[in-house]
Formats: sequence, C-alpha cells, structure tokens
Amino acid sequence: MSGKRLPPTETAAGWLFCLPWIIGFLALFVWPFFASAWWSFCQYDMVNPPRWVGGSNYGRLASDLVTQQGFGQALTNTLYYSLLSVPLSVILGVLLAVLLSAPLRGQAIYRTLVFLPSVIPVVAASILWLWLLNPESGMVNYLLSWVGVPPQNWLNQARPAISMETMEMIRQGGMVSSFKLFGSKDALVLMSLWGVGNFVVIYLAAISDIPRSLYEAAEMDGASPGRKLLHVTLPMLSPIIFFNLVMGLIRSVQTFTSIYILSEGTGAPAGSLKLISLELFLSAFSDLEMGYASAMALLLFIGLALATLLLFRTSRYWVHYRMVA
Amino acid sequence: MKRQRAKKSLMYLLVWFTVALFSLPLLVMVSGSLKTSGQLTRDPYGLWPDGWNWGNYPEALASLPFLVYLSNTLLLCAGCVIGTTLSCALAAYGLSRVNWSGRRWMFGLVIATMLLPWHITMIPRFVLISELGLYNSLWAIVLPTFLGDAFFIFLLRQFFMTIPESLLDAGRMDGLSPWGLFWKVVIPLSKPALATVALFQFVTTWNDFGGPLLYLSDPQKFPLAYGLERFVSAYGDQTNLLLAAATLFTLPMILIFFLAQKTFIQGISTTGIKG
Repeated sequence: MSGKRLPPTETAAGWLFCLPWIIGFLALFVWPFFASAWWSFCQYDMVNPPRWVGGSNYGRLASDLVTQQGFGQALTNTLYYSLLSVPLSVILGVLLAVLLSAPLRGQAIYRTLVFLPSVIPVVAASILWLWLLNPESGMVNYLLSWVGVPPQNWLNQARPAISMETMEMIRQGGMVSSFKLFGSKDALVLMSLWGVGNFVVIYLAAISDIPRSLYEAAEMDGASPGRKLLHVTLPMLSPIIFFNLVMGLIRSVQTFTSIYILSEGTGAPAGSLKLISLELFLSAFSDLEMGYASAMALLLFIGLALATLLLFRTSRYWVHYRMVA
Repeated sequence: MKRQRAKKSLMYLLVWFTVALFSLPLLVMVSGSLKTSGQLTRDPYGLWPDGWNWGNYPEALASLPFLVYLSNTLLLCAGCVIGTTLSCALAAYGLSRVNWSGRRWMFGLVIATMLLPWHITMIPRFVLISELGLYNSLWAIVLPTFLGDAFFIFLLRQFFMTIPESLLDAGRMDGLSPWGLFWKVVIPLSKPALATVALFQFVTTWNDFGGPLLYLSDPQKFPLAYGLERFVSAYGDQTNLLLAAATLFTLPMILIFFLAQKTFIQGISTTGIKG
C-alpha cells in the first residue's frame, strides 16, 4: 500500500463504479426481503393486492408442522437430506482429497475423473440418475447385488421400509432376500455425493498449502500415516472444512432442480422429495399462495441463519486458524 | 521396503476403484445413448453397445425443437456473460482500487448477499420482473446479471488487489481518471480473472433451470435445460433417447472443462464455488 492518498473525487468514482451493484442490491435483495416479510402477513395471489391477515400464515405453518403435512413434511425432508448429505460430502470430500494427494502415477487423471461429474449439468445428471436408479435395470442395484444387497426401490419409495417379517428373519439370522433400506431421499444423497468433486478440488488446494515441515516434524516423532491425518492434515484443513460445511448447508437447503426433475415437479413419491424449496415454489406458483410461501421463506431464512450461527459458535472448538500468516 | 510396496499397491487399488465408481455413471450415459431400446432392455448393464446405434442422436434432436432451444440458450449465455463480466468488474474495481471510505462496509454487504437463500427473494423478484413487463422474455434472466453477483465480485476483487500500485500510479501520472485506469490498466491486466468469470457464468446459464421455469412460458423461448425437462415428461420411457439428449447437452460442458481446466480449478479453489 502506498502512503499517499487521492482527492475526494475518488468517493464519487467509488459510488459510480458500484452503482449497478447498488441498484441490484436494492431491487433484488433489500426490497424483496422486506416485501417477503410484509407479504408473509398477507393473503396475496398476485392478481389482487395483498390483504393483511395477521399471523394466520404462520399459524398454518405451525399446524402443518404438527400434522407433518405440507411445510411440516417438507421441513422433515429437508432436515433428512441436509443432515445426511452435508456431513457425508465433507467426509467423502476430505478422504478423496487425501487419497488423491498421495504421490501416485496418473494422479492428474484420477483428479480429473473425480471432478468430472460436477461439470455435468444438473438437468442431464438427473436424467442419468433416473436411469441409474431404476429398480429393475439400473446400474446401482446391479452393483449392490454384487455385494449381496437386494434390489432397492430408490426413487419409487418414500422412505425405508423394513417389514415385520424381514425384522424377524434378521433376528433369526436367516438370509434376507428383500429389504428396502433406501428410499428417494437416499437416492438424492447418492446423487449429491457423485458431485462431491467440487469440494475435493477445494480440499486438494488446501492440502497442497500445508507446509511440508509439519509432516516432517510429525515423522521425526514417529507418527503413523493415520496420526498424521488426524493431527496434521485435519487440523490444517479445519477452516476449509468449516467453510464447506456452511456453504454445503446453504447449498443443500436450496437444492431444487434435481428434485424437480426426479419427481417431475410433484415431489413424488408420497411427497418424499418435497424439500422446502419445492414446497415453497409449488405454494407460490401453482397454488398462488404468495403470503403463505413468503412466510415459509422467512422461516427458512431464519432457520438457516440460526444454523449458520450455531456452526460459527461451535467452530471455536474445532477450527484451527493458522497463527502465522 | 516390501511393506511400502504392498501399501502402495493397496493405494492404487483404492484409487482405481474410486475413480471407476465416479466414472461409471458417465459411461452408462454414453453407452446407453448408443443402444437401441431393445438392447437397453436385454442388456442394461453392458458398457460396450453391440452395434453403435448413432441414430438415437438425430432422433432425439428431431423430437425437440433443438435449434430453437439451442439458440435461446446461446442468447441467454451471451447476454448473461456480458452482463456479469461488466457489472462485476465495475463493482470489484470500485471496491478494491478506488480509494473511498464506503468500500469496506459495502464489500461487507456484497458478501452478506451470498448468505441470503433465493427463496426469500424469489416471489418479489418475480413480481418485479412481471411489473417491468419482462415475464416470458429472455431479459427476465439476462437483466439481473447486469446488476452484479457477489461471488464474481469477490473473485474479481481478489484479483484486482494483486495489481501492483505502481502500475496504477504510472497511469495516474499519465493523467488517467479512475475510469481511464479501469479500462486502460486494470481490465487489460485482468484478462485471466475476467475469463474465469465469463466461463463460470456461461456454465451457470447453460445449466440454469430455475430461471426459465419461473420466467418463461412460451416454448419458443425455452433454453435447452428447460426444454430437456419437458422432453423427460414426454419421452420418459425411451431411455436411449433421453440419454442421447442428456449426452448432447453435457458434451459442451465437458469440452469447455477440458479446454479450460486450469481456469476451472483455480476459480473453484479461490472462491470455493462452482459454476
């Protein structure tokens, strides 16, 4: 940074350069935010002007929550999906990055092939996974049959269903030829894990930034590879893991295109693919309940903000920021 | 030494296994797109189609107005790439190399918009776009890109910060205004970063499904991503055609990735996002 500073005309220039963004900020973020908040207390169908109805939209959301209909079901679905896909993608991402940073011949090719799925457009990937997860002739069930897992219904089944007979058979230690362990949301998790390459790239960059000297010091102390992973790699990666947890959470809650295509826009089977994003879209644009949808959006925003805050609060216990720059 | 060797072999096996699992879906897509529907039923798992049935491709293309969808997609991509690159470069410059007191907190606001889920702005934005008379127009998707995007502003700002002050000073000596500095010094020096932004925006727009779903109703204006979804509903049982269409739609992304691999990887690892 040079010491001498410039005339105040710079202030005008600063505002002018930022002007397009400022317009966008006001028109696409600030106004929409407050409009949403306002409409969440209204009945609004976009044809007639919004009509104040007090907290009744929130009342409906609360009763949905109790009955597990609509919003309630969508919230449970979203929690199921996020709580499964986000941690799994972090774990898988780190493991793959560690594996792909080992000095192996052909490393660049392996990295490319693991990353490649994440450049596949979601629309194409969803079409592909519809086929891969086909219960009769999909590749996933075929591979699972190699390790003795009976055919799963995947996208045709709302939730895992293990019948009483199956339970009884498992208890007696008998061969189980049919149990349905995986449903539609597990299919969605599987599909999201296929695209983990993005995260892998970020971890790989972070791993290559870890000073060699740390590993050398650990080796001097006779640390095994497992201990090096646990005491050098993971702590050094923790800021990035934290960043990916936060971004992964935000991204998973916003998942929309894949569930829309996998369920042809309905959230089927039995509403099991209705994550909040789809429920909100359908309430707004097929039921024209803008007020109700806005209330849902506001709750989602608050929930996401709280979850992010919570992650930040826990971060001080496990995220190690490097002291030396 | 022997143990080392065994460990190394184990690593190779593990890597090969993983890579095979990650690649398998793509192989299934391509090989499925080359099978007849009869072959697909008879032998759904074989990766090597017996007889290359290229005919799926023209048939898939013929069953959707491919050229219409493609030209809409390209129009959208062109508009959004121009919009984003321009607006984000302007803002990033204002937030990094113009010296004014507001730039710190304004950059904070830029970052804050990243954390706002689209759900909460979706309905009012839709109302706004409709009020502007842009519903069912490609501008509904293009216009907002002229108003900046937090991720790309962040990415460009990081890059602009690395430009040596001495180069800017030299420009000022020559009597360049901030506007002149932007066009004559900063932009020419930032081509790699601008290319990254353009590339990511191109990919984002190519893949975008939500925008067209929300704003377009006339099939003559559909881009490929949205048209393809319509194709799924109509041809759901003809897997070979669906896979051919999906392969075609994916191909440009794979080509772009291989042509610009370094740009991709660097862009992702500096910002932690994908296109």
